Amino acid sequence: MNIAVAYKYAPNPQDARVQPDGQVDWSRAKPAVSENDPVAIEMGRRVAAACGAQLIGVCVGPQIVGAAMARKNAMSRGFDRGIILADDQSAQWNSTQIASALASLIQRAEDVTLVVAGDSSIDDAQGVVPAIIAGYLQWSAFLDVIDCEPTDDGYRITQRVHGGTRTVRVSGPCVIATTSDAVTPAVPSMKDILAAGKKPVDVLTASDIDCDDIGITTVGYRKPPVHQRKKRMFSHADELVAALYEDEVL
Amino acid sequence: MRDDMTTWIVTTEPTIAPLCQLAVGERHAVVVGDCEITGVDKVTRLAISGPAEAYAPQVVAAVAAQPGDIILVVNNSVGRVYAGALAAAFHAPMLTGVRNIASGAAVLGRYGGMTFQDVQFDGVAVGLVEPGDIPASAQSHISIQAHDAHAIAPYPATCESEETNAHADINLNAARRIIGVGRGFVAKEDIDLARQLAAVIEAEVGCTRPLVEGKGWMERDAYLGVSGHTVSPQLYIAVGISGQIHHTAGIDQSETIVAINNDETAAIFDIADYGLVGNLYEVLPKMTKAVRQHKNG
Repeated sequence: MNIAVAYKYAPNPQDARVQPDGQVDWSRAKPAVSENDPVAIEMGRRVAAACGAQLIGVCVGPQIVGAAMARKNAMSRGFDRGIILADDQSAQWNSTQIASALASLIQRAEDVTLVVAGDSSIDDAQGVVPAIIAGYLQWSAFLDVIDCEPTDDGYRITQRVHGGTRTVRVSGPCVIATTSDAVTPAVPSMKDILAAGKKPVDVLTASDIDCDDIGITTVGYRKPPVHQRKKRMFSHADELVAALYEDEVL
Repeated sequence: MRDDMTTWIVTTEPTIAPLCQLAVGERHAVVVGDCEITGVDKVTRLAISGPAEAYAPQVVAAVAAQPGDIILVVNNSVGRVYAGALAAAFHAPMLTGVRNIASGAAVLGRYGGMTFQDVQFDGVAVGLVEPGDIPASAQSHISIQAHDAHAIAPYPATCESEETNAHADINLNAARRIIGVGRGFVAKEDIDLARQLAAVIEAEVGCTRPLVEGKGWMERDAYLGVSGHTVSPQLYIAVGISGQIHHTAGIDQSETIVAINNDETAAIFDIADYGLVGNLYEVLPKMTKAVRQHKNG
């Protein structure tokens, strides 16, 4: 039995700049394992340990995700092995196509019964990829998951719901997306980092897998209309409150 | 564009006004569960027992989208599961941050809305849209279609237990005024200073991510930002919030923004209509007092 964790290697939008034509300049943003993905890896690792499963990292991204540095960075976090699609073509893909490629990698891993992913990637933050992976695999999907434990025929999953938590029992395979604070990820030790280089990783290109070609093209980018702000500064609370009443904000 | 196109609206909630607003052509709603909706032309209702997520195969079967149709799904935890199943089944692009949509084309806000992307697509597209605050305007004649959901089995899943706290029912999407609190607060109890101001101006209190996740001071439902709630209240008061994009992307559509921060270089001042550089521990009680005085004439 195998458990797969889908992770993303992504840049932080905090370091991106929007150019006048609306294109985003990512050159100053350094990509890394996306902020919340270590939480998913840690949850996957715990479930794998509880049921004696192998933990497999799957990732789709540009060529850099297959480079030694990126592979080591990911593998040091507790994976037994990795299957990575590293192809610059993927930069143009819609999230449906990315998820379709990830589903293909998961099928290639064989005997996977649980897919774990983070809540959303740091750059696009759409939070849709785990659910589309489930769509392609035709498995059930549960999001905002804070705990997962194996049962005889599936998994017991605890989710965060509006105002509390809910526990669901699933028979058969499923896809879960963790909340960003579900578990505290372990920091890789020097031993983990050294061992990471020896872990088997298959690095593939787009031509190696079956993936759905989604017909969507970008016509262009533009800067969003700027909401003109007044930028009035005050030094006393009384003056601020008076201005808010005067302008009928309060 | 087809003249007879349909916008499919998939929801588990009554608050579909923003989806109806974006819809083009006939509006055909697929309602999962028993919520009452208005503002559409047709309704297909799916009865469920157990976790709503398990009914994704029924939702896929109920949406008979043709090329050129669009499918809009309410963006919540269950909605995203349905949207994922629909995107895979229809080989359809998944659109988020939808600002405008028509048959074959859309305008999308990307990376927390920092840029707009114009896209064109073939066939069906699936869009995730934030739910609104109030039900869509009433409409009297909706034809309700029965859907034979029995032909398809849901995924095997059962609810074992549910623990929810009714008191934690914050509805930031519906709030006209919101005070956002950030890391400028030193202790959990200090948020009461913001709550006192909120009480006199009838506002809800929300927060940035570190207060929910790092510190656990506030409920997750109070979290404002790109992966939390996206809100556009009439008034947003950011207190002790520096203004990182992960937070501002969730609040920058507010009608008026007030920023209170002790760092005059904080990025939040760039998007504020009214700013005050000062210590929130002094400013908040003074503001609360000033509002009370104003109310008492």
